[in-house]
Amino acid sequence: MKSAQLKTKSSDKTGYLMSLPYVIYFGLFIGFPLVFSFILIFHKWNIVTPMQWIGLRNFYRLFHDVQFFIAIRNTLVFLVIHIPLQIFTALLLAILLNQKIKLKGFFRALYFLPVIVSGVVITILWQQLFAYETGLLNLLLTKLGLSKIPWLINIKWAMPSIAIMATWKNVGLYIVLFLVGLQGIPRYLYEAAEIDGARPVQQFFHITIPALNSTMVLVVILSTIGGFSLFIEPFVMTGGGPMNSTLSVMLYIYNQAFYFGHMGYAATLGFFFAFIILIVVLIQKKFVERKD
Amino acid sequence: MRIQATITLFLLLGVVCISCGKKRTAQTVAAQGAVRLTYWCASNQSEIDLATELVSKWNASHPKIQVALQPIPASQSSEEALLAAIAGKTTPDICANMWPGAMDDFTSSGGLVRLDQFPDFMDYLTERIPTELLESFRSPDGHYYQIPWKTNPIMIMYNKRMFRKAGILKPPRTYSEYLAAAKSITKDLNGDGRADQWMGYQDIRPIWWQRFFDYYTHYIAASGGQTLFDSMGICFENDASIKVFSFFQEIYRNGYFPRTTFQGDNFLAGKFATVITGPWNITHVEKFKKPEFEYDIFPIPVPDDYHGPVYTYGDHKNISIFSTTKNPEAVWKFARFLISAQADLRLLEVCSQIPLRKNLTKNPLYQSYFRENPMMTKFAEQAPFTRGVDGSSVLKEIFDAISQEYEACSIYGKRTPEEAVANAAHAGRSRRQRRQTRPGYH
Amino acid sequence: MKKSLIYILLIVGGLMFAYPFLWMISATFKPEAEIGSIGLWSANFSMRNYTAVFQKIPISRAFLNSIFVSACVTFSVILFGSIVGYALSRLRFFGRDFLLGLILFTMVIPFQITLIPMYILMVKFGWVDSYMALIVPGMISAFGILLFRQFFMDIPQDLIDAAKIDGCNDFGILFKIIYPLSKPVIITVGIVSFMGSWNDVLWPLIVIRLQKLMTLPQMVTIFAVGGQADGQLGAQLAAATLLAVPIVLVYTFFQRYFIESMATTGLKN
Repeated sequence: MKSAQLKTKSSDKTGYLMSLPYVIYFGLFIGFPLVFSFILIFHKWNIVTPMQWIGLRNFYRLFHDVQFFIAIRNTLVFLVIHIPLQIFTALLLAILLNQKIKLKGFFRALYFLPVIVSGVVITILWQQLFAYETGLLNLLLTKLGLSKIPWLINIKWAMPSIAIMATWKNVGLYIVLFLVGLQGIPRYLYEAAEIDGARPVQQFFHITIPALNSTMVLVVILSTIGGFSLFIEPFVMTGGGPMNSTLSVMLYIYNQAFYFGHMGYAATLGFFFAFIILIVVLIQKKFVERKD
Repeated sequence: MRIQATITLFLLLGVVCISCGKKRTAQTVAAQGAVRLTYWCASNQSEIDLATELVSKWNASHPKIQVALQPIPASQSSEEALLAAIAGKTTPDICANMWPGAMDDFTSSGGLVRLDQFPDFMDYLTERIPTELLESFRSPDGHYYQIPWKTNPIMIMYNKRMFRKAGILKPPRTYSEYLAAAKSITKDLNGDGRADQWMGYQDIRPIWWQRFFDYYTHYIAASGGQTLFDSMGICFENDASIKVFSFFQEIYRNGYFPRTTFQGDNFLAGKFATVITGPWNITHVEKFKKPEFEYDIFPIPVPDDYHGPVYTYGDHKNISIFSTTKNPEAVWKFARFLISAQADLRLLEVCSQIPLRKNLTKNPLYQSYFRENPMMTKFAEQAPFTRGVDGSSVLKEIFDAISQEYEACSIYGKRTPEEAVANAAHAGRSRRQRRQTRPGYH
Repeated sequence: MKKSLIYILLIVGGLMFAYPFLWMISATFKPEAEIGSIGLWSANFSMRNYTAVFQKIPISRAFLNSIFVSACVTFSVILFGSIVGYALSRLRFFGRDFLLGLILFTMVIPFQITLIPMYILMVKFGWVDSYMALIVPGMISAFGILLFRQFFMDIPQDLIDAAKIDGCNDFGILFKIIYPLSKPVIITVGIVSFMGSWNDVLWPLIVIRLQKLMTLPQMVTIFAVGGQADGQLGAQLAAATLLAVPIVLVYTFFQRYFIESMATTGLKN
């Protein structure tokens, strides 16, 4: 009895000791920021002068802030284009890769390449692809006899262009995820369907898609979180234009905090935005998982 | 048990905070009794070269006052770097990259030394800088916190051959002349239905400091030297602004400037006939141009009914002393060295930027320099007719508001100039009002 | 589906991913005027753009900074992740499940909220413009802890009991017995952590202003967005290529690990 008690005691101590790094880390870099952020919401501060209590004025300002809501709308536009495009392309390529072909590893590695390269490189590269007069994409279009597309200089095209670029960058990751999902589907399901006379299209919709349900959920959630974090692309490529159509929320918050020095307001925006993200993700989980 | 852990935790936190709170002191008195000063300069190569040269000259002749040099980034965030340094009390003794527009933020934080406390400051000031600009560097509380150092007057550089080929005999002075010139230059050369050479180009991204090159500099010219604020508040909601907005609207509507974010240096490549720029560009052009490239400078165009000298934006950079300094007298001595006549000559020669000095072109010390660099003479003559930015703390936001309206009206033609200017002024006023709760702001 | 059709589609897809990179690399060698061309070849290849980049910005310094910071972060994440992961998986103590819940909670918090207070913390500590600001906030990863915990839960208890009998304390068990068995999870956490730290650009942009401390992606961003490239497109692309090269090199050798790590992390999420 006594030795067992002793064992738990020492295990306790080591447990606390071993967890200590995390506790300190949490306290400093998560706990404190959360609390401070919450306090900041009710103040006005530009770092160099003392904080000023302003009560709920930041909220008042937020609800009248047209640019902020434009930024949220832009993010939704991005997601609405990016997520379906992502799923379609990734799934298509994953299915192709799942067939009995050679060089699977090579293609998989190739598609995955943009995922590991820094977003900065991708953005600089695509700026050249998207340039109206001299960009590669438009050169290709004119060579094919089509008219040029005003990728980044037209309100209707700007955000979709960024969505296309984001899809190109990340599709490799989702191909891999779908591949794992596809490889987990037992062969006999398809064989049984064949015997029953189901055509490939029917097999696809009745076996493949349902089996991939959890992967789909994952893809949707990851893409959504990625979309909400959109920053470096508009920062480098468009500065938020044309006419605020590529202003992402993170870019707006960055500007408010670091260009204009509105720390309190930026913290308010951050909190509100995080709140929106949580709700969206929860809704998505419920909605996509429902397709059982 | 848990109590022990909690105590350890707090102790650790405390240790962490204390050890990190030990700020890197900007100067320490060395064992020999010499005073050490830190000097921050802008981080572009030519200014680093200049600063290195001046600092080593100073150190050689002043063994009791030693200066250590450190560059800060000259990107749009150098003000943030300075503000963060002020907040963390890690400021240098002296910095020569002070942007007047951020003065309000700097002074309200108490980070800068009041310069007119030095008995010879005002004498130095009135002797050095052109009298027209004296008042513009005074802070709203009546004191001086910045030593005016240099300016880069914005003018237009143009490709002489392209102008000649298009039959333009002399550079345009008014908007009508400019638009007419633009019309004859913007051409479709290879018959593919789109233009291959343009009058000029401006980055159309709505980044607030881009406006210094288009809207703001033309507004200063069109209004005869007004800035965005006067003693009563926002004053740019006027005819001059409207004219500038509609001038650029014409340009973009007719495609005289391409509506794109071009990358690459197309002025030198002959794609653009003009470029709105400052004297720093001369070294660049000289370095990269082909031998047969001919260019010259002309001032910013003005509205047709404007008469008088042409003003422009001056992109001033000044010198300030920080309140964390332990040796204000020594730093002031070093500052005087930085703005001495010899140092100014090196500023011209090494960086091709214009020191803010009276009668620059007439001063015998600089005669041979200007003889060898006739382009610089034009900029030097423009220098007294420059305006900077107001030192308001909401300046960037107001420029941001102007940028938004400029983009909507001039670049995309979605709004009339009258509407755009009214919107921008309205946004500017409400942003100023929000700041009014703090005393000492204007 | 016909095999040839599959191959064609895959190759077209492959081109769409490879060609832009190939084009970018060839553009860095082309003279400025020819960059607008769609082809890969030029008669005038030169290293001029690269020399320009090396002359204008201390890119090798930035590279070393990135290596230093990423290595420190990765090492620290593995070390602390494994320690805390071990505690959570194999030790029983009061508050263990609470701690686990806390860790899960932090994974849900979007960084948007903590960004600004973290910056303010850096200012107050005086860590702005120092390596501390780049390394310390990344030293522990909740995700790393969870991965280690997951893996450690599957270690057979007898191994641990045997070690205890030999007189090992928990730290000894962790380092001497468990580590050698944990290669896959160490590599996974290592790769994900290294990649994340290497590519991070928002945080360095916020806390670092001094050029000599900038990380590689940050330096390339400022070079491309600011005016230092003198409008030379070739130089900008060269800087971008230099940013991509190190990780692509590592990727070519460890490609299998990369892909598998990302797959496992996705699934665990």
